Amino acid sequence: MLGAITYRRPLNLIAAFNIIGYLFLFFSDEPYNWMTLAVGGAATFIICSACLIIIKRNHGDEYLILIVSMLLSVGLMMIYRLDERLGLKQLVWIAVGLGLFFAFYHIYIKVDKWDRFAYVYIALSAVLYLVTLVLGRNINGAVNWIVIGGFSFQPSELCKILFVFFLASYFKNPDNLFLEKYIQDKRLRVLLNKVLLMLVAYCNIGFLVLQRELGTALLLFLTFLLVLYVFSKDLKLFLLNSAFIVPGVIFGYFMFYHLRVRVDAWLNPWADITNKGYQIAQSLFAIASGGFFGTGIGMGRPDMVPAVSTDFIFSAICEEMGIFGGVAVVLLCMLFTYRGIKIVLGLKDRFKKILGLGIVTMIGLQTFIIIGGVIKLIPLTGITLPFVSYGGSSLITSFIALGILQAISNPKFDRAGGEANG
Amino acid sequence: MFEIILLLVKVVFTLVIYLFIFGVIRLIYLDIKSMSISKTDNVGFYPYLKLINQREMLDFKVEENYTLRKSVIIGRNDKNDIVIKDPFISGIHAYIMAEGESVRIKDMGSKNGTFVNGVRLNEGEIIPLKDGDNIKIGHVKFLFVSIGK
Amino acid sequence: MDENRKIIQVLIAICSLFFIIVGYLTYIQLFRSRDFMANTYNRRQYKIEENTSRGNIYDRNGVLLAYSKLEGEEQERIYPYGALYSQVIGYSSKVYGKSQIEAAYNNELLGIDDLSQVFGMVSGSNYPTRKGNNLYLTIDHKLQALGGELLNGRKGAVVAMDPKTGEILALVSSPNFDPGAKKLEENWQSMVESEDAPFLCRAAQGLYAPGSTFKILITAAAIENGMENEVFEDNGSIIIDEREIRNSESKAYGKIDLKKALALSSNVVYAHLGTELGMGSFMDITNRTGFEKEIPFDIPMSKSRFPYESMDKTDLAEAAIGQGKVLVTPLHMAMITSGVANGGIMMEPVLVKSIAHAEGKSNKELKADKLGRIMESDVAEKIRVMMQEVVASGTGHNAAIKGISVAGKTGTAENELSVKKKAKEHSWFVGFAPAEDPKIAVAVIVEYGGSGSEAAVPIAKRIMSQYLSQ
Repeated sequence: MLGAITYRRPLNLIAAFNIIGYLFLFFSDEPYNWMTLAVGGAATFIICSACLIIIKRNHGDEYLILIVSMLLSVGLMMIYRLDERLGLKQLVWIAVGLGLFFAFYHIYIKVDKWDRFAYVYIALSAVLYLVTLVLGRNINGAVNWIVIGGFSFQPSELCKILFVFFLASYFKNPDNLFLEKYIQDKRLRVLLNKVLLMLVAYCNIGFLVLQRELGTALLLFLTFLLVLYVFSKDLKLFLLNSAFIVPGVIFGYFMFYHLRVRVDAWLNPWADITNKGYQIAQSLFAIASGGFFGTGIGMGRPDMVPAVSTDFIFSAICEEMGIFGGVAVVLLCMLFTYRGIKIVLGLKDRFKKILGLGIVTMIGLQTFIIIGGVIKLIPLTGITLPFVSYGGSSLITSFIALGILQAISNPKFDRAGGEANG
Repeated sequence: MFEIILLLVKVVFTLVIYLFIFGVIRLIYLDIKSMSISKTDNVGFYPYLKLINQREMLDFKVEENYTLRKSVIIGRNDKNDIVIKDPFISGIHAYIMAEGESVRIKDMGSKNGTFVNGVRLNEGEIIPLKDGDNIKIGHVKFLFVSIGK
Repeated sequence: MDENRKIIQVLIAICSLFFIIVGYLTYIQLFRSRDFMANTYNRRQYKIEENTSRGNIYDRNGVLLAYSKLEGEEQERIYPYGALYSQVIGYSSKVYGKSQIEAAYNNELLGIDDLSQVFGMVSGSNYPTRKGNNLYLTIDHKLQALGGELLNGRKGAVVAMDPKTGEILALVSSPNFDPGAKKLEENWQSMVESEDAPFLCRAAQGLYAPGSTFKILITAAAIENGMENEVFEDNGSIIIDEREIRNSESKAYGKIDLKKALALSSNVVYAHLGTELGMGSFMDITNRTGFEKEIPFDIPMSKSRFPYESMDKTDLAEAAIGQGKVLVTPLHMAMITSGVANGGIMMEPVLVKSIAHAEGKSNKELKADKLGRIMESDVAEKIRVMMQEVVASGTGHNAAIKGISVAGKTGTAENELSVKKKAKEHSWFVGFAPAEDPKIAVAVIVEYGGSGSEAAVPIAKRIMSQYLSQ
């Protein structure tokens, strides 16, 4: 019986975490706000039932959803505490996201021929980018939102997944994707394929830079490099692309003022604390004030940090749940990456393997880039913390990615395939 | 007083997160441990159990092969060597004793019984397995394959 | 399988990145968080202050020197003795921030200790009101009040300290200002612009030529160089490289030894001694006694200056009589005097005696460290005897107290106005008593007060006799 409330049943601990957190929020603030209990109850119910479905129905790996559930709980609690209205919206997004998660799990298994749509992925990304450029709204200095009927959406988020799908299609049979019927000379074809691969990759990155999505651009580039490293037999190609980092960074630094501002703020936020360094300084103040155990949920002042519910949610977690809370989030992300890679290692289907690796590294690196940014370890680039930050687009994309990963993880549907098998 | 209660809540709160992390790590560890038994590298050198059911038909996790490098306990509990979450399998269901070439099976007092070639084992009865024997535990059916095959 | 190996490398790389984050977070928390918390742009500080009733400050005997009163929602800081402690305790104002003890012990006064920092118990705005810790200073209020009274509006400083423990008994500076929040706001602009520099804590930050008080150090160097028993010819003036150095009122003392030269404060003898000793001895003794060094103290303290790159004969002669480029703070002079009184060991000065927790938990006593030995104990003993002679029969005879042996040294420091004969010199006196078992050491400077015996000596005498009669 005792086992039910200790570490043996991680799901119970997620429930316990939510119950303690929301009860504390409820009792620490008078007059009592009954909505806190309602949101807490709903969150606990939605998150726990999603886990239960995965575990009981045996839909593949059960640890991914457990870890993600904990991250969701931490994030939602923080967002609700910062802004009740946002918290409610986030709860709705989580419910929608979980729905999409199951939907994509089944869709992925049903469709099964994902490796044949490479051109579709490219075309779809291109359309999304162009639509953004034409209809894009400038929100917080980044032209990356399209607003349709009061709904704002960030298409670049979806492009991340499309890009990974494209990479998987390409490397399933390396360097044979394009122009198969038109060019007979094999060496020429391989060379052209490589050129086209780089063209697609850098067009993606270029569009993102144009939209000032530096974080996502960096993320895409790193994912591209890693996939290249693992699945391309051509080490030179990997080295060539890695070498692009240095001129790319120098070029960007002198070309884009906002990049220069970010780097300056990173090197010395104290020099211009009221302006360029403001965000990062406020973030560090929040982290420092938390101590090891934090001020307690609802007891700190994370509201002093700008963009605290999206990019800077990690600072708020550090302030109110302490460094231990922050480290726990990092450990959860690490566990997620570990578990994801473990699944990828066991896969026989090459397409799935690439897809899985792409998704896992993308989520892992995204976590690193944003957390590293808010603690001043690396220059700050505005991206969200997956599953934790507020934001519909980001949450839904992460859930779609998770659904695909979940489908891949189900060994019942894993069949050998692809060129370099065995 | 307020600060002390607050501190207490905070510590419990932190504890819950870390217990969770510990719990997940433990489960993953157990998972990997049981996976090492199902590795197929050593087929041919050791006797092994081969799944007869179609995996898609079972709604719980079972591997295709279980190598019998040493004696193993089959059951639903996480601590067993071969963990199968079939509701018709008992916590500790059966014990397979492997000593070199001779492999014997014993029912550990399971509720729904252990069947070898359709015959239910009595409690405590030990039966030697030979190549091609059918073993049925809960919904799961295995084929026993001995060395040299 | 080559791919799987590479995938594992990717896993290791990403996990290392995460570990770097964990490490960096821990580093921030352990080593940087105090700085971040104290940053003036961190608005959380004001929140903490709103919720904390700031601790009281007392003198060594429990006389209340500063406290906070709640007026409506706002806290007001009250200083019952007004300007007397303005340069010791400083001020605590929402608009102008904090200074001196109020700034240096801000965390203690707000009850923020390392433990509550670790457990994150301080930044909350929703906490009920909490109480900060009380501070006990080493200051003796009676001495401080007497010092203020004796300076009587003249510019200058009075420092009294216990030579054995380094505890500061009085630290008076004049002019001063009213540290109350309202007065501060009214007078801020005029005080900032004032030539009198009322914010300057002259006792710890004012830099003055030491005048003849510097001869104590030259005497130590002379004894160390075996010139203790030499006899000098004093004709009332001496010419060194075309620069004439004269005694006060150009008196000629004839043949005198070192002891007599100190007692009479003979500039001729010491200028000569300076050229004899050479730059090496000067560098050695000033280095040992803490010139050009940061001395740890609770409130800001200036470095005493001995800024010579090279010294010609004139420089040596001028420095030997405490003129030229030598500059000291009164507090540093009191420390050097204490060093002589304490058998050659100079103590670190302390201003805060203990921190008393608000809930009456154990007090935290603060003890001074030894700064180091500035001279051998036999040298210190010889100088003590000579300094007694100064008071018994020399320039400091006005400092004599009935029944108590006093050791001391007067000083008359030239300044930019006295050189042009527009004002008198700065008047110095340093000393300690009782000479055999020193309990108090003092350093007094009165700007434009004239010769040492004129202005500084009577103040020092009153301070010492007041303390020893308690």
